[in-house]
Amino acid sequence: MFLSRLLPKGMPSGVMTPEFYLAVVTMHGTIMVFFFISYVLVSGFGNYLVPLQVGARDMAFPFLNMLSYWIALLSAVVMVLSFFVEGGAAAAGWTAYPPLSAVASAVPGSQMGQTLWILSMALFIASFTMSGLNIVATVFSTRAPGLSMMRLPLTVWSFFIASILGLLAFPPLTAGAVMLLFDRHFGTSFFLPSGLVVAGKLLPNTGGSPLLWQHLFWFLGHPEVYVLILPALGIAFDILPAFTRKPVFGYRISVWCLVAVGCLSMIVWGHHMFVSGMSPFTGEYFSLVTLTITVPMTIFGVNMLASLWGAKLELRTPMLFALSVIAMFGSGGFGGLFLGNATADMQLHDTYFVVGHFHMMIGGVTLLATFAAIYFWFPKMFGRTMNETLGRLHFWFTFGPFFVIFFMQHFLGLQGAPRRYYAFTAFDYLRDTRGQNLAISIAALLLVSGQLLFLVNFVWSLFGGLAAKANPWQATTLEWTTASPPPHGNFETQPVVERWAYEYGVQTTDGDFAVQTVPARNVPVTA
Amino acid sequence: MNMVMDSRSLAASQPGAVSLREDQLRLGLWMFLATVTMLFAAFVSAYIVRRSGTDWRQVQLPAMLWVNTLILAVSSVALEAASRSGFRLRWRQAELAMGAALAGGLGFLAGQFVAWREMMAAGIYLPTSPHASFFFVITGAHALHVVAALAVLTWGAVATRSGATDVPAWAARMELCRTFWHYLGAVWLVLFALVSLY
Repeated sequence: MFLSRLLPKGMPSGVMTPEFYLAVVTMHGTIMVFFFISYVLVSGFGNYLVPLQVGARDMAFPFLNMLSYWIALLSAVVMVLSFFVEGGAAAAGWTAYPPLSAVASAVPGSQMGQTLWILSMALFIASFTMSGLNIVATVFSTRAPGLSMMRLPLTVWSFFIASILGLLAFPPLTAGAVMLLFDRHFGTSFFLPSGLVVAGKLLPNTGGSPLLWQHLFWFLGHPEVYVLILPALGIAFDILPAFTRKPVFGYRISVWCLVAVGCLSMIVWGHHMFVSGMSPFTGEYFSLVTLTITVPMTIFGVNMLASLWGAKLELRTPMLFALSVIAMFGSGGFGGLFLGNATADMQLHDTYFVVGHFHMMIGGVTLLATFAAIYFWFPKMFGRTMNETLGRLHFWFTFGPFFVIFFMQHFLGLQGAPRRYYAFTAFDYLRDTRGQNLAISIAALLLVSGQLLFLVNFVWSLFGGLAAKANPWQATTLEWTTASPPPHGNFETQPVVERWAYEYGVQTTDGDFAVQTVPARNVPVTA
Repeated sequence: MNMVMDSRSLAASQPGAVSLREDQLRLGLWMFLATVTMLFAAFVSAYIVRRSGTDWRQVQLPAMLWVNTLILAVSSVALEAASRSGFRLRWRQAELAMGAALAGGLGFLAGQFVAWREMMAAGIYLPTSPHASFFFVITGAHALHVVAALAVLTWGAVATRSGATDVPAWAARMELCRTFWHYLGAVWLVLFALVSLY
């Protein structure tokens, strides 16, 4: 079999070993969070959309941008290569908790694979801070004349806030990674406690604090989930009005909600550590600030719903995906209420409830928004249109199974199924969940095979799709004023902005909308 | 052919406008310093947390660190002097002062190296005590940033050599150098106070 050839240690005769399962879980989390969602949404779409939507020729620092790209590639290569070193890839989870991550003799994945993991993460942080710095500088300094901050599309706002979060929250993990590396290779005891016995041997380390790593990690880790989800929400928010043909509801308050969420996200990391033995008073604090986040997030969600109010919805593919973002965000966010509360979290911690929750939020919301963005901006990117029928089919094969999988996992968690276990065959109390697991597996296979529709559509449309006009969706933001695909330098002439980004439902010569550059004397400015 | 007009050339074409590039670089530097601040904040808070461990033993820090602190302070003063001389169009003086600032930076690095060697000669290594571990890691991280800042100072020194030809460009570079260099001096004072007093 191909898999047993490629990974003779991990999958002898094609069946995964427990050690390899842990490595796969670790790498799945790491690659998805850092190397897929972060790169595709913030670094990828951020890089493409921010200059276009602020009316700039390029990012503020093109050289830094290139440097950021190559370091990103290098860090991804290092991460993937770790599958093929002695002991295999890192296996301490995407959170890399010590001592598992700090003692080379702990599990096979704690050897070279973990060292490469740390190096790759350090490179990732370097690359991501460069790209974040670039996005912030671009938004601050290269906006077109007339484009005030409060006229920016929410997409740009979300990239902007996500980038600031990255700049402030990621460097502490660099400090943590350096200390972890020193614990692994130079005999220090930053994170390694006294009296640790690994593989029958007493380690010489004394007095270190594994909890210190958890604090440093989650100080990055929690803002990181907002780095992932805010751009997804911003993109969905901006795609809605193109298919409701009316202005969005509550633009300004939505901006301030994003700002509030950004600030709050920096002070709630402890809710990942309720069971770490923290003082109940500290737990109370983290519960309170965590649940406070639901206020701006709910306002944002309700604004998205209110944007649909009274509109005649055009259910094109990007709109379907944008609508499903709202559905996934609402359902997944509901689970967050349970987990943000310390008392409930102690029951649910490390169960499939958590897996279901965060996959809906930073997996589902971001994945659906990524597809919404690809279908929406594909004509701009490649000058061709994607096939609508295949797109809608792909939507149902994505949203349906995805929702089923992670909705059901909440209930597995309520029944006590722990996460990150290789097999559940040894537990009597989980025998009744086999049917549910089977259903989840079938849904997962459907989800994966549904993505073939996307691949076919993408490749076929790239070469054979119908030619796209400059503004196929009759949308209002600046990128639709230039050709599809945009020429080198993005705009033929410097755009001058006259109005906000959501001028729909007005009478103009073009139709029922006015792009941001339409002068106020032609069409009255509503905001 | 269409004239491609970007925001940069637009800003440059307006008389009296400060070059956009310099604004961007200043903004970029401040954001970079924000990330560096967060990095050292993490080290400092880790130090404070780890200090409550039962095995914490303070090690003897070499007196050389005081000399290094002085060298770094003198280097900062020299950089200010270079800037002032340049604004009075005394370019020869400015060049000398820039040379002194650079030498001070190199001297600081050499001094830190001597301090590390002294500690190792006294039998204090990375794993000797958590205090020693933090000392080496934190001063090492700071030294790496000093290396980066020295590259920026060199860039400022090159500008100073030809400062007379384009004073605004020179002044802009000097501002970046001064911000970065004084910032790292201030970080050093905080770190030095931390490892020696707490």
